Amino acid sequence: MVYTKKHPALLIMGALFLIIGMSTQFGLQDGLITYLNLKSYLGEMTGLAYTAGIIGVLVGVWNLLGTHKEGNLDYYLSTVAGALFILLIAMSIRWYVAPLVAVLSKEMGPVMGDKYLHDVFGLNYVVLGILAGIITVNVFRIPEWADNGVRLSRLGLKTGVILLGTLYSLAELVHLGRLSVVLIGFFVLGSVGLVLWLSRRRRIPNSMGGVLSAGMGVCGVSATVAAAPVVQAKSVEIAYTIGTILLWGVGCMFLFPVIGQLLGLGHIQFGAWAGTGILNSAQVAGAALAYQPDGIETLKVAEIFNITRVLFLPIIVLWLALWYVRSEEGAQTVSVGRVVFEKFPMFVVGFILMFALSSTGIFAPANHYQGKYFDNNITEEKLLKPDQVSLLQAESGKVQRVDRREALQRLTGNRKVMSIDDDAVLRGLVNAKILSKEANAILKGAHQAVRHTAAKIKKFRQWITLLFAFGLTGLGMQITMASIRQAGGQPLVIGGVVGTAKAVLSLLVILLFVRETI
Amino acid sequence: MNPRKILCASHGTDGARVAEEAALALCGQGCLFHHLMVVPDLWKGMMGDDWLNNAATRDRYGKYLESQLDREVAAVVDRLGESVQQRAAEFSFETRLGKPADCLLAACLREQPDLVIIGSPRPKGMPGLRSRMEMETLVRGLSAPLLVIPYPTV
Repeated sequence: MVYTKKHPALLIMGALFLIIGMSTQFGLQDGLITYLNLKSYLGEMTGLAYTAGIIGVLVGVWNLLGTHKEGNLDYYLSTVAGALFILLIAMSIRWYVAPLVAVLSKEMGPVMGDKYLHDVFGLNYVVLGILAGIITVNVFRIPEWADNGVRLSRLGLKTGVILLGTLYSLAELVHLGRLSVVLIGFFVLGSVGLVLWLSRRRRIPNSMGGVLSAGMGVCGVSATVAAAPVVQAKSVEIAYTIGTILLWGVGCMFLFPVIGQLLGLGHIQFGAWAGTGILNSAQVAGAALAYQPDGIETLKVAEIFNITRVLFLPIIVLWLALWYVRSEEGAQTVSVGRVVFEKFPMFVVGFILMFALSSTGIFAPANHYQGKYFDNNITEEKLLKPDQVSLLQAESGKVQRVDRREALQRLTGNRKVMSIDDDAVLRGLVNAKILSKEANAILKGAHQAVRHTAAKIKKFRQWITLLFAFGLTGLGMQITMASIRQAGGQPLVIGGVVGTAKAVLSLLVILLFVRETI
Repeated sequence: MNPRKILCASHGTDGARVAEEAALALCGQGCLFHHLMVVPDLWKGMMGDDWLNNAATRDRYGKYLESQLDREVAAVVDRLGESVQQRAAEFSFETRLGKPADCLLAACLREQPDLVIIGSPRPKGMPGLRSRMEMETLVRGLSAPLLVIPYPTV
């Protein structure tokens, strides 16, 4: 079979990327860049746009004019059109639509405390990208020429998780790993058990109870896909379960960030809550990036929870397989080794490998936590301005702790943070929210002036963000309303009970026991 | 009414089974009974947004789901084929993946039946897949008489 479709779309998309790159480089978009505040994206809008543009034009010309034969070259090159299709949508949202939404939202003024509408609802490039994906597949449909490449979104997400391995310290990984094993262990086993119990009470067939418990308990659709053949679920049971999970997942992706904002959850607390309470793993990443679009601290926590879930998956599938064999006459027996081998997520090995490489100092010196290092040898323009010094001095009376007051005095005296210890103390002062918003902004600026990120780590962070934006937009293209509409019957009732219980209980546990520091 | 060729769209649900019965009642000796079974295209989206599984697991799931659907189709086709043959009529069938109305229109164009028989939509609240026949698309495009059998009373 020849996969390449002779269609001009790829060539057109390549040309569009080139136009974006050139118009950015030669200043044709300057007005728009200022209005939408796009300065932080300028590197992407040239570098990424040129790269995608050149690839699009070259492969587009080949697709259109070349002679295609069956084989690996045809298969791999046929995916480029779909990949660029996702990229074009994801980057249009990141560079233009999301900034426009932010500008319009700011023009409306704050709606909740000092937060704007787009902050409260997490309307950033990730959520809007997923929405764009959902709208594309349900309203316009995925074009045939893009069909093969859209599947690359999974590769994008897995690569993003692997690269994320470079950003953890050992202490962080140990702490988050322990926390996630406890929380996921409790809530996964709890919800699997609860679904099986409710299924028996409501006299639901074992196959439906089995597939539903995996989906509700572990990682949503992925667990359903893994468990359905093992518990020999009927087609309608699979449809009900996937519909229910997608409905819950998409709903939670919008609801969780709003609740998190209302409760003022920290990044660790929110990441842990999303990672435990949201049924579907794709929406966990979506909610984490919706909660913190300009940083990846929340995503880091949420992804550790996702990884823990997926590590639980072979265990749960095995449990369900044994349970099903015991409960049903004539059920096929399963091979323990095959289940564990087949369901083991290989990308987790990549994540661990990147973490190990990062720990050797290959990307940034080992003493640079997250690739960040302290250097207060800064230029005059980065020093505090006299009016900023005056404001900090005027508010210094509010500070009670001696170490904080002394660090503040050294800061105002030298107009810069004087040591790594002072930096840590002043960060604590900002987090304690003792000073005014303006004073805290000055302290944050002073921190950023002396904290530098290692170049490689900075690149990793940028790539991770781009890969997640790409992957989640592409996954949005796989959420069809036809499948969501299948939510119903007993799975919807049981899913509603278990999903709500899991979300509420995990929130309570996190509020009571999870601290915002590691 | 004595049709020589009947096209019956049925996927074995309660509503479809009354349509089958009606079609069988009208199917006399020598009549051609063509059974259309539509597998709704909603199944294309039943991998959802899974991204954690590897290719082997996804492949196993895809094959499993296909075999499940095949088994369900075969059960309906076998049952209906037997009933048709008991009436000394001729039985043929086809299975299509797509939207029910589009598939029925395409089958009607190919088979040129004297009569098309379908069941009516499932009443609200009844369990089952949500994949409805687009009646407007169907009646606008259909070239043969259409008989819609009411849903069985409980």
